[in-house]
Amino acid sequence: MTRARLGLLAAALALVLAAAPVSSGPAAPVRGGTLTIGRPVDAVSLDPHFETTAPGAWIYQMILEPLVTMGPDMKVRAALATAWRVMSPTRIRFTLRRDVKFHDGTPFNAAAVKFTFDRAFDPRSISRWASLAGPIKGVEVVDDFTADLVTTEPYAPLLHSAAMVFAGIVSPTAVARLGADFSRRPVGTGPFKFEEWRTNDRITVVRNDDYWGPKAHLDRIVFRVIPEESARMIALRTGEVDMVLVPAPAQLATFARDPGYTLAQATGLRVVFIGMNLTRSPLSDVRVRRALVMASNRKAILQNILEGAAGPSDGILAPGVFGYKSLGLDTLYPYDPARARALIQEAGFRPGPDGIMQRDGIPLTLTLITARGRYFKDAEIAEAYQAQLREIGVRLEISFLEWATVFTMVRAAVLDAHMFVLGWVTTTADADYTLLPMFRSDQVPPRGWNTWRYFNAEFDKLVDQARTSLSPREREELYGRAQEMIARDIMFVPFYVTKEIALMRSHVKDFVPHPIEYNQGFQYVWIQK
Amino acid sequence: MTRFVLRRLLAMIPVLLGVVLLIMVTIDLIPGDPAALMLGQGATPEMVAKLRASLDLDQPLPVRYVRYIARLLRGDLGRSVREGRRVNTEIADVWPATVQLGLAAMTLAVAIGIPVGMMSARRPYSLLDNLVRIVSLAGLSMPIFWTGIMLVVVFSLWLGWLPAGGRGSWYHLILPAVTLATPSIAMLARMTRSTMLDVLREDYIRTAQAKGVATRGVMVRHALRNALIPVVTILGLQTGQLLGGAVLTETVFAWPGIGRMLVRAIFARDYVLLQGGVLVLAVTFVMINLLVDLSYAYLDPRITYQ
Repeated sequence: MTRARLGLLAAALALVLAAAPVSSGPAAPVRGGTLTIGRPVDAVSLDPHFETTAPGAWIYQMILEPLVTMGPDMKVRAALATAWRVMSPTRIRFTLRRDVKFHDGTPFNAAAVKFTFDRAFDPRSISRWASLAGPIKGVEVVDDFTADLVTTEPYAPLLHSAAMVFAGIVSPTAVARLGADFSRRPVGTGPFKFEEWRTNDRITVVRNDDYWGPKAHLDRIVFRVIPEESARMIALRTGEVDMVLVPAPAQLATFARDPGYTLAQATGLRVVFIGMNLTRSPLSDVRVRRALVMASNRKAILQNILEGAAGPSDGILAPGVFGYKSLGLDTLYPYDPARARALIQEAGFRPGPDGIMQRDGIPLTLTLITARGRYFKDAEIAEAYQAQLREIGVRLEISFLEWATVFTMVRAAVLDAHMFVLGWVTTTADADYTLLPMFRSDQVPPRGWNTWRYFNAEFDKLVDQARTSLSPREREELYGRAQEMIARDIMFVPFYVTKEIALMRSHVKDFVPHPIEYNQGFQYVWIQK
Repeated sequence: MTRFVLRRLLAMIPVLLGVVLLIMVTIDLIPGDPAALMLGQGATPEMVAKLRASLDLDQPLPVRYVRYIARLLRGDLGRSVREGRRVNTEIADVWPATVQLGLAAMTLAVAIGIPVGMMSARRPYSLLDNLVRIVSLAGLSMPIFWTGIMLVVVFSLWLGWLPAGGRGSWYHLILPAVTLATPSIAMLARMTRSTMLDVLREDYIRTAQAKGVATRGVMVRHALRNALIPVVTILGLQTGQLLGGAVLTETVFAWPGIGRMLVRAIFARDYVLLQGGVLVLAVTFVMINLLVDLSYAYLDPRITYQ
């Protein structure tokens, strides 16, 4: 190599170095590349009307778009509708985008919206989404690009229902052409198009180059199924996947310290709690119930069992839900075993020779049913709570059952247990979705989810009023009062609010974690080269 | 011979009818309503009732049984409760993966287990034999789950030679096949060793050696062939295990096979899918055992079937 050439090389090198970003701030997105995501289970179906769990929703939320959508800030945003107006307590009018085509070339219009809702709410077929959306009657076409969403009775959370990912508008021609197969090959308007589904192995979506909005950066997103937790984490380390959903909690701290990885999280919408059966003595006595809350060291459980993978909970609603009000459990019923014991004694119990409280010679033994692994750390929490109750002289007998059995038992007309571990997601992100079916007097199983069998006519009136009111401020106020009643009559011990967590290699940029587990923001991710 | 095969195939019919009945009764006995589970937290009792009706779940067990068998005769395994897909398609999706993995594991088991057993039997209580016996005991005792994770840690994470999971190229097959084959290799090695030791004490072996047949010839032609019958029996039973018991391997290596499909079906109480999957496994198992029986006649000419 001659001296001149060497000089040239040096000059070129200097140029390259100068051009290279020296760990600069936010870099501009780069187009191209494949994002491979590892997750524990495969989708059941990609049809939003029938599959409302995250493994399917994660994928079809990029293929199908609703009229409006819920942003990460939990505010409703425009999607396929540019504007909307609440016409009456039973009607919202949507103005639709005019420049949109489905992936199969079918034009998007009011007829497609009507088709989608007719399909989901067809009384002959049972769509799972219909069971979550409220009293929706259907869609009325006003003109080609105006459509009214109508309910059978006043329903204030209607806009929230329309913003659920399950409300994605489907291509009418594709549904007609594919029939039942639509669930394996959905066709919508979204930034990604369906490409391939290999059962229990992987689902692939590709960028929609004709998207009406800002186009995606990635060429392709591959969702791989890796059921085993440690295998999933190894695949992240070896680079076989770029991102892991539902990462191993015990390894989160290690990965968070490693600059090669990025941890993204948002407080979710699911609250996991131990519920009490008010029809069983002595839980019908509010003093005993309050004692059971005071006996729970929830902070210790959060720190030592959940290890930062979940957030603190102070109610039946998660903080992101419209209408949420903190119950103030830490001030009303702070962790205090001595006061808990006193309350139990007030209810007529006395410590027996073995330290267990008893009344009329009968020891205070409570039964609890739980699944193992249905909710994150459910069994471990039940065991820790058992030990904490022991401190105040209450014996807790835990039955570990399979989830299907727990589900059947809590939904039966008669619940044959004192307590149960359950989780609840406020899927619409509106308090109505939880406070009405879980607490209204007529919602006792098998009809609804009033699993504690709580009867309070005053409470019923509040949630009814809140369902029909058109004023968000009034609704918040009503839900606040309803939650104060719940706090007073307390019938559950909330243990945590879920976190939506994604762990990725640090070259994955601009992933947006979302409080709603279905809406995780994969769309505008890009990969730094 | 042909008549024997036909008779055995006919005998499969009551076996399979029994299998279907057994699955249906079992699912009926365990608590958990597939319709309620499927609709989830927002469903009203009316919705659940409607879904139950559309799935035939409101019918009594004997009616469902007869209807199912009638469909089965037309080759229709029904539609999955949870996914609404045809069970035939569903199984066609996952079955090849399981067969591929099972065949690979069985090939490994035969190719390694039998020769190792023979070498071990040739010089009993030698260093090699002791080593084989210890290693095979370990192979039998290690849980598949643990073996799998260890192999992934070593070959994927540390060495980076092989992918940690998924199904794709031939490289993807190596680790799951080795994991699944490990207990079978150990089993076959021990079985071959002990039957070979028995056979090697026979008079005809001494005769063969006396007339000057080379050791290799004695071992393979005279001893191994006679020692194979119990080994083949074990092999047949092991194959059933490989096909059905691959759930753990499939889980560790994210292998999209029938084992994982069945587990999912159980948790969703998807009884139609479950019935179809178990039925396919039962048919396979019965067929393999038929092949094993037929192979006896080939291995030992004294055995004939009528």
